[in-house]
Amino acid sequence: MNLAQDDSPRTFSEYRRTVRLVIAKCSVDYAGRLSAHLPLATRLLLLKADGSVLVHSDALSYKPLNWMSPPCVLSTLEPEAEQSDAGVTEIWKVAHTKSADMLIVSIHEILHDSSHELGVDPGLQKDGVEAHLQKLLAEHIDILGEGYRLVRREYMTAIGPVDILATDEKGASVAVELKRRGDIDGVEQLTRYLELMNRDPLLAPVTGIFAAQEIKPQARTLAKDRGIRCVLLDYDEMRGLDDPNMRLF
Amino acid sequence: MKFQVNRDVFSEAVSFAVKLLPQRTTLPILSGVLIEATDEGLTLSSFDYEVSARTQILAEVEEPGRVLVSGKLLADIASRLPNAPVRFSTEDNKITVACGTGHFTLSSMPVEEYPSLPQISDKVGTLKADLFAAAISQVAVAASRDDVTPVITGVQLEVSENNISLVATDRYRVAVRDIEWDAGASGVEAATALVPAKTLVEVGKTFGNSGEISVAITSSDERELIAFQADKKTVTSLLIKGNFPPVRRLFPETVDNFAVMNTGELIEAVRRVSLVLEREAALRFTFTTEGVTLEAIGSEQAQASETIDAFLTGDDTVVSLKPQFLIDGLSSVHSEFVRISFTKTENPNKPGPVLITSQSSKDQPGSDNYKYLLQPNLLLR
Repeated sequence: MNLAQDDSPRTFSEYRRTVRLVIAKCSVDYAGRLSAHLPLATRLLLLKADGSVLVHSDALSYKPLNWMSPPCVLSTLEPEAEQSDAGVTEIWKVAHTKSADMLIVSIHEILHDSSHELGVDPGLQKDGVEAHLQKLLAEHIDILGEGYRLVRREYMTAIGPVDILATDEKGASVAVELKRRGDIDGVEQLTRYLELMNRDPLLAPVTGIFAAQEIKPQARTLAKDRGIRCVLLDYDEMRGLDDPNMRLF
Repeated sequence: MKFQVNRDVFSEAVSFAVKLLPQRTTLPILSGVLIEATDEGLTLSSFDYEVSARTQILAEVEEPGRVLVSGKLLADIASRLPNAPVRFSTEDNKITVACGTGHFTLSSMPVEEYPSLPQISDKVGTLKADLFAAAISQVAVAASRDDVTPVITGVQLEVSENNISLVATDRYRVAVRDIEWDAGASGVEAATALVPAKTLVEVGKTFGNSGEISVAITSSDERELIAFQADKKTVTSLLIKGNFPPVRRLFPETVDNFAVMNTGELIEAVRRVSLVLEREAALRFTFTTEGVTLEAIGSEQAQASETIDAFLTGDDTVVSLKPQFLIDGLSSVHSEFVRISFTKTENPNKPGPVLITSQSSKDQPGSDNYKYLLQPNLLLR
């Protein structure tokens, strides 16, 4: 089947591959589980590729005044005579496909209308910080204690890589698990690595360090119970954003 | 086991024994308080392998025995009991606590699994309790609460022949106080002990009114521990391993530029003026022969300033200080007047630290030797 020639009606979400920005003088009504009315004003209408329609004002930060979540269908209607007389040029009806909820946008004047293709979003890269922390900690391994030496980053075990393998001041192996936020899962993960690494006669005995920017009390308790040392990392200090001139030493 | 005990004595003993127990423990038996009844009375103890507490009280013991019971629960119960003798008895693994019209039944925990408390050396030195408690409160405030560097979360005790110094720092400030110490039979001539600040603060609160405190340092199995004893109460704590930073060299040898102010007046002024400051922002202090002017640049919405009396020796000086750090120092001098001394520096990007010491009048330095060194912020024009 040649999709390009398929003229059958499409739902809004199938139709759009782009984000559409419209700035318009409009009034908005929401009907359904809760009714709401936004009187006539200039607003930003955001039509996202996932089908969602968001009505923003020039305030409220990331929060829209009103919105319709996907799946929903957008249809453009001609205004009725009475509405035309009131100045309405077109009406958008955004109907939710799984409920009776409906968002009606009565447009009086379109001031801006553009569509942009954003492509595939790589997602929020929180891991960037973790990777950077690993690099920084490897460079400043003495944060863990005097006499510590880096063996290698991403030390491979049969069940995955340990963030950092180091040796302590006595030359004994230390496995380091790094997290931005240290919670109980991270401790479990390190425990599994430690169990495996301690079977290796060339490495054993391996002790563990759980290093994070923030460590949850439960994670700290569990780590302590398993003989794993917790180390809080100061990311700003490690990347040199902290000012040592503010301190005595 | 069966005994009867005075309600207030019992409640106080239980609350002491459980005070140092950790909030969370993965070994439930460590959350218990061990009660031992012998012909000599009762012993209540708690231990979590790091910190231990033990106390002895008088009781009418009808039947000796040992029992382990949830510490937190027993402390809550004991503090709410009516004012009447407490009767305590055990049957199988049930414990009955009866007092006046109240009656409780608690489960006991397996006492044979409970670890034995650390042995303490009987070679002890002694300290005056009130002095020690005051010194702890003056110094511990400067200890770091951030366990990135565990060594500075402790208070360093430096023992010499007749003196013991308490030192704490969080890298922004250093607090030091020396007090007298009677090495007695301890045989200790020079030693250092790094005690977790949290534990030491509790020791100060617990033993503040005890007259004399005995101190012993014991090492066993590669770990060193310190024991504090007074009034039939004992607290032990493992010492923090590691080397405390050499902070004493940060103190200036001589200062000829300083200002003396009324401590209370200065604290009040700092609190008032810093109301308009953003968090973490510093106050600007301009010292002249006219007095000291505090200025809070604050935000666009609010600024504040205030001038109070100050007796300046040496040059006019401007410093920028974090209000909370300053108040911590000012509240710790425990004297009517306070001296703030200014040090010089070679580094144009780092102001010289200020030294806060006590002053009994505007001309007379204080009798104690408390010192609080604080790093000012860089002055922003």
